[in-house]
Amino acid sequence: MMSIKKSAVLFAGLLLALATALPVLAEESASAAPQTVCLQCHGSQPGRLGEPVKLWHDSVHAANGISCHDCHGGDPTDFAMAMSPERGFLGAPEANAIPEFCGRCHIGVKEDYLASKHGQALGKGGPQCVTCHSNHAVQRASLDLINEKSCTRCHTFARAAEIKQALSATDGLIAELESEMAKLHRVGISVKAMQGEVFDLRNNFHRLFHTVDVEQVRKETDTFQTSLGAVKAKIAGINTELGERKMWGGVAVALLVFAGLLFVLIRRSYHEEEDHSGE
Amino acid sequence: MQIVKRVIDWVDVRLGVRELVEENTTGYLVPRNVNAWYSLGTVLLTLFAIQFLTGILLLMYYIPDTEKAFTSVERIMNDVPYGWLFRYLHAIGSNMIVVALLLHMFSVLFMGSYKKPRELTWLSGFTIFNLGLVLCLTGYLLPWSQLSFWATTVATDAAGAVPVIGAKLVELLRGSPSVGAQTLGRFFALHVMALPLVLLGLIGFHLFCVRRIGISTAPFGKDARPARTGEKFEHELHPNGIPFFPNYTMEEGAIVCFFLAALVAVAFFAPQLFIPPDALVPADPYNTPEHIKPEWYFLWAYQTLKIFPSKLLGLGVQVAMMTFLALLPFIDRSEERRPAKRPLFVTCYVLGILLIIAISIWGHYS
Repeated sequence: MMSIKKSAVLFAGLLLALATALPVLAEESASAAPQTVCLQCHGSQPGRLGEPVKLWHDSVHAANGISCHDCHGGDPTDFAMAMSPERGFLGAPEANAIPEFCGRCHIGVKEDYLASKHGQALGKGGPQCVTCHSNHAVQRASLDLINEKSCTRCHTFARAAEIKQALSATDGLIAELESEMAKLHRVGISVKAMQGEVFDLRNNFHRLFHTVDVEQVRKETDTFQTSLGAVKAKIAGINTELGERKMWGGVAVALLVFAGLLFVLIRRSYHEEEDHSGE
Repeated sequence: MQIVKRVIDWVDVRLGVRELVEENTTGYLVPRNVNAWYSLGTVLLTLFAIQFLTGILLLMYYIPDTEKAFTSVERIMNDVPYGWLFRYLHAIGSNMIVVALLLHMFSVLFMGSYKKPRELTWLSGFTIFNLGLVLCLTGYLLPWSQLSFWATTVATDAAGAVPVIGAKLVELLRGSPSVGAQTLGRFFALHVMALPLVLLGLIGFHLFCVRRIGISTAPFGKDARPARTGEKFEHELHPNGIPFFPNYTMEEGAIVCFFLAALVAVAFFAPQLFIPPDALVPADPYNTPEHIKPEWYFLWAYQTLKIFPSKLLGLGVQVAMMTFLALLPFIDRSEERRPAKRPLFVTCYVLGILLIIAISIWGHYS
């Protein structure tokens, strides 16, 4: 009989121990996460060959799971054939080919860029993608990229400042909506559809800059503002509902505390009776 | 009202329910020095009842399928009327249960109520505590989030540290080489059927022990009594005690209301306290989150495992500690229950709690 009890206790202990072993092993799993052969090989190399991996780690591409082979091609699972043209390896593009290289994914931006003054100056000293966005350390596009230091490498800042001014209100609204949606997501509200909508609007709006045409930016801003306003109204509706939830929650908490205090008072009245009967 | 009286009369003639109710309410005397800590059992019963109720409501919409589980939980949170409330009450309620279980266990230890003749009451209670933790763990996988997936992956991996049968144990727990549809099926069946049934049985046995042996007198003041050491069964009576109902029920009602107020406050105002960001992302077997931390009640064990050089040694220490706690009534056989007369026990008790808190904080920030 005793051995059965003991076994039960040991089993319970084992289950608990299993449950608690989670994080140590999690750390081991994290460090052993599968990496592409590109990252394994270049990541351990010093200097020019290893530098792209370090830069890439903090990039918007890395954050979104875009790895070396997504841009440069090749086979990320085979050391021997990783850089073989047979497996689609493209290598690094020439400066003039960069818009085509990036434009395989950023199609709309490429179109607007090529049609713009910047695009028309490609190969004649004009900027291409990495001039402003850099390459492996590419960051999430923001209006901060339009700055005096960067733009004055080629021309004066006046026109760029004018475009930045025209974009700023809408860009600010997009940032505000993204922050609001992140807050809603944190409390379990499904914002996937709205996030997709704002993501599309943001991408299309950022395309506008690449036209480097301030009049076009002003003309199209209203359309974007209307669509973003509709998302803002949806978010406001959800926030109102969350506010109502909190109000009812507050009422429920107050009622429960009140009921608890009432029980305490009744119990105290019994205490007096018990003291008298105990004397 | 006349019809209600007639129905009660009818049942009373056949089953004597009036006498039964009287025996267990106004006629059931509990020690005069009974205190608020004794209410934790009722708090736990209330919280377990909420878990059963909210669990059944969640079950109506939850789909135990790796492709649909996360979406079904999203649907519960966003589309099902008051689904968010049921889910939050269920998830936060599980944390409140662990809090109440710990407080209940600590108060029983401090008051020496685990001692003879209450060894079975302690053992069944300690098993309920462990079962509660296993219920938390199995429930963790069901939403099929990143947190669910990786927490279960590493927790089941730990079984591999057991010598000889480790690999078999891992496969037994998962039902497949890695966490997947088979694991979800197993954990779902355990969480919604097998474990609750065992829990119900254990709670029934625990309550039977409490009622059969009688409530222990608190070891404070002039009413304090030593543990009984006789070899013959004897129900602990309290002839000068106070009626369980309404006198003590009011105190229990107050503590239950305060616990529920805390539960509702967290559910409405700060649910994210118990829902980490990784719980909001669907499971991705190809993307390991950078930092997985266990729930707060497993942090001490997490850090303990890190302190020891091998997983097996860490597990062994934890199993030894839990076994020691389970068998405490058989190890500590002294009659004395008054804390002031048990300086060694109280010192170990306070230092033990402080150590667990310190190790948990260390685990949180490590």
